[in-house]
Amino acid sequence: MKFSDETLKAYLEGNADAADAAAIEAAIETDLALEQRLMTLDPLAPVVQSVFENIPTDAPQIELPETAPVDTANTSGGLWRMMAVAASVAVVAVSATFWATRPEPMGWAEQAAIYQSLYSPDTIASLDNSPVTLNAQFAQAEEQLGRSLNQGALEALPGLELKRAQVLSFKGKPLIQVVFSDSQGQPLAFCVIRQGEGAPAKDVKLAAISGVATATWAQDGYGYMLIGSSEQTDLEPQLDILTTTFAG
Amino acid sequence: MSVLTSRARSVNDKHTQVAIYSMSPDISSEQAVRGAIQTHSKRVWRFGLALSGASDVADDLLQSTCLRALERHHQVTSYDRLDSWLMTICRSIWLNEVRARSVRKAQALSVTPEAELISAGPDSETNIFAAEVFTQVMQLPEAQRETVMLVFVEGYSYREAAALLEVPIGTIMSRLSNARQKLKNVMQHDAADAVRRSGK
Repeated sequence: MKFSDETLKAYLEGNADAADAAAIEAAIETDLALEQRLMTLDPLAPVVQSVFENIPTDAPQIELPETAPVDTANTSGGLWRMMAVAASVAVVAVSATFWATRPEPMGWAEQAAIYQSLYSPDTIASLDNSPVTLNAQFAQAEEQLGRSLNQGALEALPGLELKRAQVLSFKGKPLIQVVFSDSQGQPLAFCVIRQGEGAPAKDVKLAAISGVATATWAQDGYGYMLIGSSEQTDLEPQLDILTTTFAG
Repeated sequence: MSVLTSRARSVNDKHTQVAIYSMSPDISSEQAVRGAIQTHSKRVWRFGLALSGASDVADDLLQSTCLRALERHHQVTSYDRLDSWLMTICRSIWLNEVRARSVRKAQALSVTPEAELISAGPDSETNIFAAEVFTQVMQLPEAQRETVMLVFVEGYSYREAAALLEVPIGTIMSRLSNARQKLKNVMQHDAADAVRRSGK
């Protein structure tokens, strides 16, 4: 239904007849152009706006903490959702052909390796790894995981600089990815997933997945994975320490 | 540990927190929320004023809104309409936490609105007119006041305001109609003249 400007103005001034007013209010539910016209023709809006737009005169004072406070009641849901979505988008993007030739569902280690294979030196170059940031990240990750990540041991790994700990999720299970930079700035990752009590223990298994060297093992309900930056990455120096440190 | 700490600091000094990779939602969403707080602080304050009718309550609402937003930066999935998100948080804090204890104050204010918030314009006639409009708007019932603020002042469309206030679009239309009727008296001044006079 078409409305003339006169009809719309009469409506805005409260002078439209009841049938017109009802027709306009019904049409606006679906008619974006009509909504726009009505808003533009409204004689009151610019007047009210001109009065209020300079209130307050000065920018109001706000005191914000330097690091974001953690909202324990509400953080995890949104974070999990966002991480899960982000991870799945990235994984799907690179694994279309992988899926096509591999009918059985991927395990967490394969997905983590594929995700990690997207990392480049630039991904981690400018991460804020100040002690304050890392401590907060580890606190959050450990809370999700339900166990210590031995931050001190990870910081002391030979030849690696700790860059970030982030919470991911695989099929509803918390998956923590700790990212390091080696002396050439190449990214390495150590991942821990909570698999639940009763999950089988597995000895260390070396494999190249999605073009990167990996080592996986499992113990006491947790799965572990060390991921290099290429198939040639030598994981042995860190592996010995990690398998000892995370022996349950 | 100590070696790492000093290296970490030097890295941190050289680089601001730039989110190079979209898989860093923690850092980038926090930055986006901080940016939105800076950009929209006046709007949120105004909305707080419209809700509460009192500038000191608006101060508190803005502060609480910003802290709550920062706490919840992880929940941000789109950076497009962080202004609406801040407004929604502000309103939720008002309704759930502040309104009850502010009612007395707001009632007192409906008698004497804070017309001194109107900054001095170029001539006294404009100031009187602006103060009248301000007073009339602030004396509207709360539902009409918040709707007028979102649509007329902040420029949200009817459907955006409907989504933000969680009411049907028809409710927005009728609230605005009712508000227009009440503001009609003050609008007997030539509206176009008023806009020009107020220096817009």
